[in-house]
Amino acid sequence: MKLPRLSSFFKGMNLTVFTFVMIFLYIPILILIIFSFNDARIITSWKGFTFKYYAQLWENAAIKEAFWNTMLIAILSTVISTLLGLITALGLENKRLKGRRGFMGLLYAPLVIPDILMGVSLALLFNFLRVNTGMVTVLIAHITFCVSYAVIVIQSRLEDFDYSLIEAAMDLGAKPRTTFFKVKLPLIMPGVIAAALLSFTLSIDDFIITFFTSGRGFDTLPIYVEGTIRRGTITTINSLSTLMIGFTLFLVVFTKRIRKSLISFF
Amino acid sequence: MRDKREIKPVNSFNQKIDYILAAPALLWLTIFFLVPYFIVLIYGFLTPDIFDIKFEFSLDAYRLIVDGTYFRPFYVSFRMALLTTVLCILLGYPVAYFIARAKEKLRNTLLVFIIIPFWTNLIIRIFSWRIFLSYNGVLNDFLISLGLISQPLEIMRTDWAVILVMVYVYLPYMILPLYSVLEKLDFTLLHAAMDLGANEVKAFFKITLPLSMGGIFAGVLLVFIPALGAYLIPQLVGDQRSLYVGQVITYKIKNIPRNWPMASALSFTLLILVAVCLLAGYYLYQNRQKTKRFG
Repeated sequence: MKLPRLSSFFKGMNLTVFTFVMIFLYIPILILIIFSFNDARIITSWKGFTFKYYAQLWENAAIKEAFWNTMLIAILSTVISTLLGLITALGLENKRLKGRRGFMGLLYAPLVIPDILMGVSLALLFNFLRVNTGMVTVLIAHITFCVSYAVIVIQSRLEDFDYSLIEAAMDLGAKPRTTFFKVKLPLIMPGVIAAALLSFTLSIDDFIITFFTSGRGFDTLPIYVEGTIRRGTITTINSLSTLMIGFTLFLVVFTKRIRKSLISFF
Repeated sequence: MRDKREIKPVNSFNQKIDYILAAPALLWLTIFFLVPYFIVLIYGFLTPDIFDIKFEFSLDAYRLIVDGTYFRPFYVSFRMALLTTVLCILLGYPVAYFIARAKEKLRNTLLVFIIIPFWTNLIIRIFSWRIFLSYNGVLNDFLISLGLISQPLEIMRTDWAVILVMVYVYLPYMILPLYSVLEKLDFTLLHAAMDLGANEVKAFFKITLPLSMGGIFAGVLLVFIPALGAYLIPQLVGDQRSLYVGQVITYKIKNIPRNWPMASALSFTLLILVAVCLLAGYYLYQNRQKTKRFG
């Protein structure tokens, strides 16, 4: 079917805005990558090509520690929130479950409240309970903001689920347990993986909630970077940033699933 | 078409199992999401201490909220969130439209280009804007070398820098929901309208825009609410003489002398403000749906 063609004015405007936005979105990223190879202490002017800041990065113990902290928190919070998300999504699958609307409200609420409020409220909770802030409190906070996303991503996969496949399996004599592990779980697995990837990226990206729930001596990479920018010793940040952008690129370009889940999420 | 609601999911023979499955996450969110807000509410009525908090009742914090002492940070945040949202709609709509009407094979690639910056660490992106905008930065060097300006522009640490970076950070949150609505939109309706004599502008305002309202609402939700609580962007590129509410809350919690009751009162007020905005948005949306149905 032939769709109406937009007139050249409309089309031209859309293309212009699109091009402008693309340039706008990529300027900062390109600058970081280029300047990470710049052989100058002051980052503004080009002084020649170097790998030296990558070498410095490798030797920096504080960055290494922050990196491992970030990974530890990300992996643990991903595993826990994805498992929680999976069983919760399965539990709330039946739309006629009593109280489902209220439960969904509780799950959606963290998504529509500014991050800073979650950070503040958790900080005060830990103060009220007289808990020392550190790795455990950061982990609790990360699970708290990841779990809602995990449930919702897995739920959207369950919405498209074809229940006749379950009926077919049961008709053919499979027991409920076999049906679940051999038919249902494999079919919703892409949703589970998408939820895990989303949780992982949310966790490694978070600054503000970690800022409020980590004590002194437990830095994740975003916390370390912010501190470094504030203190003004920023030579290694370019190279660190470039590596982190590379990691993002890898995730987005090479994992179709995260892309699809992200698009279907909206 | 098979109706999903007709078929009972297999694992739901027993509602008890459903409750047991859902319980851990719901319990978790109750303890670490709901209960903390009650503590924020209570802490707002206590007495500040230099390092901690005293468990003595006091109305001082809320008195300062009610008498307008802290009106300014709320105003600054609200104004910037509103401006960011409007700019994101104006820039995001054409982009989403462009991608939705691109050839099907091209769409995914274009979306990836939108997602990559969105998925890059927030602090890193803000940091690179600092390099770009600073007094001796790339932009000023470039403009001077072109001979367009003779003196570097002071952009960093102004409201302009905040607007720029806020729009930069939140734009994908507007584009993605808009795209997902526009992609599903039946463009044959547009065809019909134009066949019946509507010109392109009229067809856009009568057909496309009303049908994509859901995407705009979702985008506004995803941009306006987080922008209202922004801390990092105004902290790293903004004018430090006009503080945003996120900054004030953070200072009261982190900096010594601490004032946790004040931070709590401010946080709770922000929470109420967010709730009011959400309800207003929801009400507007519902109303629109109704008038559409009967009008």
